Amino acid sequence: MTIPPMPDREEIRALVGHQFPGGTYTIAHWENFLLTECTGANPLPNSQVHPAAMFHVPILGANTTIGEMFALGQAEADSSIGIESYDWELFSPLFEDVPYDITATITEADRVTNDKGRTFDRIQFVFNVADPDGNLSARSTVTWHYHRTTS
Amino acid sequence: MNVNIGDDIPEWDMPSVRRERMRTMAAILRDPNPVHWDDTSTGRYGFEGKTINQGPLGLSYMVNMLHDWAGTTSIRRFIMTFPQAVLSEDHVIARGKVTGLRDEEDGTIAECDIWLHNDERGTLLKGSAEVLLPG
Repeated sequence: MTIPPMPDREEIRALVGHQFPGGTYTIAHWENFLLTECTGANPLPNSQVHPAAMFHVPILGANTTIGEMFALGQAEADSSIGIESYDWELFSPLFEDVPYDITATITEADRVTNDKGRTFDRIQFVFNVADPDGNLSARSTVTWHYHRTTS
Repeated sequence: MNVNIGDDIPEWDMPSVRRERMRTMAAILRDPNPVHWDDTSTGRYGFEGKTINQGPLGLSYMVNMLHDWAGTTSIRRFIMTFPQAVLSEDHVIARGKVTGLRDEEDGTIAECDIWLHNDERGTLLKGSAEVLLPG
Protein backbone atom coordinates (compact mmCIF):
# COMPACT_ATOMS: atom_id res chain seq x y z
CA MET A 1 0.00 0.00 0.00
CA THR A 2 1.32 3.45 -0.91
CA ILE A 3 1.28 5.89 1.96
CA PRO A 4 0.43 9.42 0.84
CA PRO A 5 2.86 12.20 1.72
CA MET A 6 2.31 14.02 4.97
CA PRO A 7 0.24 17.16 4.34
CA ASP A 8 1.75 20.53 5.12
CA ARG A 9 1.09 21.68 8.64
CA GLU A 10 -0.51 24.86 7.28
CA GLU A 11 -3.00 22.77 5.31
CA ILE A 12 -4.07 21.12 8.53
CA ARG A 13 -4.25 24.38 10.47
CA ALA A 14 -6.36 25.91 7.71
CA LEU A 15 -9.10 23.42 8.53
CA VAL A 16 -10.08 25.48 11.58
CA GLY A 17 -13.37 27.14 10.83
CA HIS A 18 -14.40 24.62 8.21
CA GLN A 19 -18.17 24.41 8.23
CA PHE A 20 -20.03 21.29 7.23
CA PRO A 21 -23.20 21.76 5.20
CA GLY A 22 -25.48 20.98 8.13
CA GLY A 23 -29.02 19.73 7.87
CA THR A 24 -31.60 17.72 9.74
CA TYR A 25 -31.65 14.18 11.04
CA THR A 26 -34.64 12.23 12.26
CA ILE A 27 -33.91 9.12 14.29
CA ALA A 28 -36.31 6.41 13.22
CA HIS A 29 -37.66 3.80 15.62
CA TRP A 30 -35.93 0.93 13.79
CA GLU A 31 -32.58 2.68 13.97
CA ASN A 32 -32.90 3.44 17.67
CA PHE A 33 -34.13 -0.08 18.39
CA LEU A 34 -31.15 -1.69 16.65
CA LEU A 35 -28.67 0.77 18.14
CA THR A 36 -29.99 0.19 21.66
CA GLU A 37 -29.89 -3.58 21.17
CA CYS A 38 -26.24 -3.31 20.12
CA THR A 39 -25.46 -1.69 23.47
CA GLY A 40 -27.02 -4.59 25.35
CA ALA A 41 -29.78 -2.44 26.84
CA ASN A 42 -33.53 -2.74 26.58
CA PRO A 43 -35.39 -0.04 24.62
CA LEU A 44 -35.62 3.19 26.60
CA PRO A 45 -39.03 4.50 27.69
CA ASN A 46 -41.08 7.12 25.84
CA SER A 47 -39.23 6.68 22.53
CA GLN A 48 -36.08 8.10 24.04
CA VAL A 49 -33.02 7.68 21.87
CA HIS A 50 -30.05 5.87 23.39
CA PRO A 51 -27.23 8.39 23.95
CA ALA A 52 -24.89 6.17 21.91
CA ALA A 53 -26.56 7.89 18.94
CA MET A 54 -24.58 10.98 19.85
CA PHE A 55 -21.74 9.79 17.68
CA HIS A 56 -23.36 9.13 14.33
CA VAL A 57 -26.50 11.30 14.41
CA PRO A 58 -24.58 14.61 14.55
CA ILE A 59 -22.17 13.46 11.84
CA LEU A 60 -24.82 12.29 9.40
CA GLY A 61 -27.14 15.17 10.27
CA ALA A 62 -24.39 17.63 9.45
CA ASN A 63 -24.34 16.06 5.99
CA THR A 64 -20.93 14.60 6.33
CA THR A 65 -19.57 11.10 6.90
CA ILE A 66 -16.83 9.45 8.88
CA GLY A 67 -15.08 8.88 5.55
CA GLU A 68 -15.22 12.58 4.68
CA MET A 69 -13.89 13.50 8.12
CA PHE A 70 -11.00 11.10 7.57
CA ALA A 71 -10.38 12.63 4.14
CA LEU A 72 -10.44 16.24 5.34
CA GLY A 73 -7.51 15.46 7.61
CA GLN A 74 -5.82 13.51 4.80
CA ALA A 75 -5.79 10.30 6.80
CA GLU A 76 -3.22 7.81 5.60
CA ALA A 77 -5.73 5.01 6.09
CA ASP A 78 -8.92 4.33 8.01
CA SER A 79 -6.79 2.51 10.54
CA SER A 80 -4.49 5.50 11.08
CA ILE A 81 -7.15 7.38 13.08
CA GLY A 82 -6.93 7.39 16.85
CA ILE A 83 -9.59 8.73 19.21
CA GLU A 84 -8.48 11.32 21.73
CA SER A 85 -11.93 11.80 23.23
CA TYR A 86 -15.65 12.04 22.71
CA ASP A 87 -17.37 14.72 24.77
CA TRP A 88 -21.17 14.61 24.74
CA GLU A 89 -23.23 17.32 26.40
CA LEU A 90 -26.89 16.36 26.76
CA PHE A 91 -29.06 19.36 27.53
CA SER A 92 -32.22 17.32 27.04
CA PRO A 93 -32.92 13.74 25.95
CA LEU A 94 -33.24 13.00 22.24
CA PHE A 95 -36.39 11.29 20.96
CA GLU A 96 -37.35 9.24 17.94
CA ASP A 97 -39.11 10.89 15.00
CA VAL A 98 -37.98 14.44 15.84
CA PRO A 99 -36.21 16.32 13.02
CA TYR A 100 -33.14 17.72 14.74
CA ASP A 101 -31.21 20.57 13.13
CA ILE A 102 -27.49 19.99 13.13
CA THR A 103 -24.62 22.36 12.50
CA ALA A 104 -20.95 21.47 12.63
CA THR A 105 -17.54 23.04 12.36
CA ILE A 106 -13.88 22.23 12.87
CA THR A 107 -12.72 24.15 15.93
CA GLU A 108 -9.13 22.97 16.35
CA ALA A 109 -6.54 21.51 13.97
CA ASP A 110 -2.80 21.35 14.39
CA ARG A 111 0.23 19.09 14.18
CA VAL A 112 1.49 17.50 17.38
CA THR A 113 4.55 15.45 18.23
CA ASN A 114 4.08 13.55 21.45
CA ASP A 115 6.69 12.67 24.07
CA LYS A 116 7.43 9.43 22.23
CA GLY A 117 8.34 11.34 19.09
CA ARG A 118 5.22 10.25 17.24
CA THR A 119 3.69 12.83 14.94
CA PHE A 120 -0.02 13.22 14.37
CA ASP A 121 -2.51 15.86 13.39
CA ARG A 122 -5.08 16.62 16.10
CA ILE A 123 -8.43 17.72 14.71
CA GLN A 124 -11.51 18.63 16.74
CA PHE A 125 -15.06 18.67 15.35
CA VAL A 126 -17.99 20.26 17.18
CA PHE A 127 -21.58 19.33 16.32
CA ASN A 128 -24.61 21.18 17.73
CA VAL A 129 -27.99 19.43 17.78
CA ALA A 130 -31.09 21.63 18.10
CA ASP A 131 -34.74 20.68 18.36
CA PRO A 132 -37.30 22.05 15.86
CA ASP A 133 -37.91 25.04 18.14
CA GLY A 134 -34.25 25.97 17.93
CA ASN A 135 -33.37 24.91 21.46
CA LEU A 136 -29.93 23.34 21.78
CA SER A 137 -30.53 19.71 22.77
CA ALA A 138 -27.01 18.35 22.67
CA ARG A 139 -23.45 18.97 21.60
CA SER A 140 -20.88 16.42 20.47
CA THR A 141 -17.18 17.23 20.42
CA VAL A 142 -15.08 14.66 18.58
CA THR A 143 -11.29 14.86 18.79
CA TRP A 144 -9.28 12.56 16.59
CA HIS A 145 -5.59 11.99 15.94
CA TYR A 146 -4.50 11.47 12.34
CA HIS A 147 -1.33 9.46 12.75
CA ARG A 148 1.49 9.97 10.23
CA THR A 149 4.07 7.40 9.30
CA THR A 150 6.03 9.75 7.05
CA SER A 151 8.28 12.51 8.34
CA MET B 1 -31.60 9.19 46.25
CA ASN B 2 -28.88 9.32 48.88
CA VAL B 3 -25.50 9.65 47.20
CA ASN B 4 -22.17 10.55 48.75
CA ILE B 5 -18.76 11.36 47.39
CA GLY B 6 -16.79 8.15 47.16
CA ASP B 7 -19.80 5.98 46.48
CA ASP B 8 -19.35 3.22 43.92
CA ILE B 9 -21.91 3.10 41.13
CA PRO B 10 -23.43 -0.38 40.71
CA GLU B 11 -21.54 -2.25 37.98
CA TRP B 12 -22.97 -3.06 34.56
CA ASP B 13 -21.76 -6.32 33.07
CA MET B 14 -21.26 -7.25 29.41
CA PRO B 15 -20.31 -10.94 29.51
CA SER B 16 -19.09 -11.08 25.90
CA VAL B 17 -18.70 -8.33 23.32
CA ARG B 18 -20.42 -9.76 20.27
CA ARG B 19 -19.10 -9.28 16.77
CA GLU B 20 -22.55 -9.38 15.16
CA ARG B 21 -23.41 -6.26 17.15
CA MET B 22 -20.29 -4.57 15.75
CA ARG B 23 -21.48 -5.42 12.25
CA THR B 24 -24.91 -3.93 12.91
CA MET B 25 -23.26 -0.90 14.48
CA ALA B 26 -20.94 -0.44 11.48
CA ALA B 27 -23.99 -0.23 9.24
CA ILE B 28 -25.80 2.20 11.54
CA LEU B 29 -22.73 4.41 11.84
CA ARG B 30 -21.85 4.11 8.13
CA ASP B 31 -18.35 3.42 9.43
CA PRO B 32 -16.11 1.98 6.70
CA ASN B 33 -13.28 0.92 8.99
CA PRO B 34 -12.81 -2.85 8.49
CA VAL B 35 -11.34 -3.36 11.96
CA HIS B 36 -14.93 -3.50 13.21
CA TRP B 37 -16.09 -6.34 10.95
CA ASP B 38 -13.11 -8.05 9.29
CA ASP B 39 -10.96 -10.03 11.72
CA THR B 40 -8.16 -10.34 9.15
CA SER B 41 -7.64 -6.54 9.22
CA THR B 42 -6.59 -6.28 12.84
CA GLY B 43 -3.33 -8.23 12.78
CA ARG B 44 -1.21 -5.07 12.44
CA TYR B 45 -2.47 -4.08 15.88
CA GLY B 46 -1.74 -7.48 17.37
CA PHE B 47 -5.40 -8.46 17.40
CA GLU B 48 -5.41 -11.06 14.61
CA GLY B 49 -8.65 -13.03 14.64
CA LYS B 50 -10.49 -10.40 16.65
CA THR B 51 -12.60 -7.43 15.67
CA ILE B 52 -12.39 -4.09 17.45
CA ASN B 53 -15.50 -2.69 19.08
CA GLN B 54 -16.65 0.76 17.95
CA GLY B 55 -15.95 3.59 20.39
CA PRO B 56 -19.64 4.50 20.80
CA LEU B 57 -20.45 0.87 21.63
CA GLY B 58 -17.74 0.57 24.24
CA LEU B 59 -18.81 3.72 25.99
CA SER B 60 -22.48 2.73 25.77
CA TYR B 61 -21.89 0.12 28.49
CA MET B 62 -21.10 2.95 30.88
CA VAL B 63 -24.16 4.86 29.67
CA ASN B 64 -26.22 1.78 30.53
CA MET B 65 -24.64 1.64 33.98
CA LEU B 66 -25.57 5.28 34.63
CA HIS B 67 -29.09 4.77 33.30
CA ASP B 68 -29.65 1.81 35.62
CA TRP B 69 -28.33 3.84 38.53
CA ALA B 70 -29.94 7.26 38.07
CA GLY B 71 -32.50 6.96 35.28
CA THR B 72 -32.49 7.16 31.51
CA THR B 73 -32.67 10.97 31.34
CA SER B 74 -30.03 11.59 34.00
CA ILE B 75 -26.82 12.01 31.96
CA ARG B 76 -25.85 15.64 31.41
CA ARG B 77 -22.30 15.20 30.17
CA PHE B 78 -20.17 12.26 29.18
CA ILE B 79 -16.49 12.47 28.29
CA MET B 80 -14.65 9.36 27.16
CA THR B 81 -11.08 8.41 26.24
CA PHE B 82 -9.95 5.15 24.72
CA PRO B 83 -6.62 3.93 26.11
CA GLN B 84 -7.12 0.35 24.93
CA ALA B 85 -9.22 -1.43 22.35
CA VAL B 86 -12.32 -3.39 23.30
CA LEU B 87 -12.23 -6.64 21.36
CA SER B 88 -14.72 -9.23 20.26
CA GLU B 89 -15.48 -11.80 22.97
CA ASP B 90 -14.11 -9.54 25.71
CA HIS B 91 -15.85 -9.72 29.06
CA VAL B 92 -16.11 -6.11 30.19
CA ILE B 93 -17.59 -4.48 33.26
CA ALA B 94 -18.65 -0.83 33.44
CA ARG B 95 -17.71 0.76 36.75
CA GLY B 96 -17.91 4.19 38.29
CA LYS B 97 -17.35 6.25 41.39
CA VAL B 98 -18.87 9.52 42.58
CA THR B 99 -16.13 12.16 42.85
CA GLY B 100 -18.18 15.28 43.49
CA LEU B 101 -21.64 16.66 44.10
CA ARG B 102 -22.95 20.10 43.21
CA ASP B 103 -26.33 21.76 43.27
CA GLU B 104 -27.78 23.25 40.13
CA GLU B 105 -31.13 24.78 39.22
CA ASP B 106 -32.75 21.46 38.35
CA GLY B 107 -31.21 19.39 41.12
CA THR B 108 -28.02 17.78 42.34
CA ILE B 109 -25.38 16.81 39.82
CA ALA B 110 -23.10 13.89 40.63
CA GLU B 111 -19.66 14.13 39.08
CA CYS B 112 -18.37 10.65 38.39
CA ASP B 113 -15.27 8.87 37.21
CA ILE B 114 -16.30 6.02 34.94
CA TRP B 115 -14.32 3.25 33.30
CA LEU B 116 -14.60 -0.06 31.49
CA HIS B 117 -12.77 -2.94 33.16
CA ASN B 118 -11.45 -6.19 31.74
CA ASP B 119 -9.87 -8.78 34.00
CA GLU B 120 -6.99 -9.54 31.64
CA ARG B 121 -6.09 -6.06 30.39
CA GLY B 122 -7.35 -3.74 33.12
CA THR B 123 -8.95 -0.42 32.21
CA LEU B 124 -9.90 -0.31 28.54
CA LEU B 125 -11.84 2.97 28.44
CA LYS B 126 -12.02 5.74 30.99
CA GLY B 127 -13.70 9.08 31.35
CA SER B 128 -16.08 11.13 33.40
CA ALA B 129 -19.77 11.90 33.56
CA GLU B 130 -22.13 14.40 35.09
CA VAL B 131 -25.40 12.88 36.20
CA LEU B 132 -28.56 14.57 37.47
CA LEU B 133 -29.65 12.64 40.52
CA PRO B 134 -33.31 11.77 40.91
CA GLY B 135 -34.99 13.99 43.50
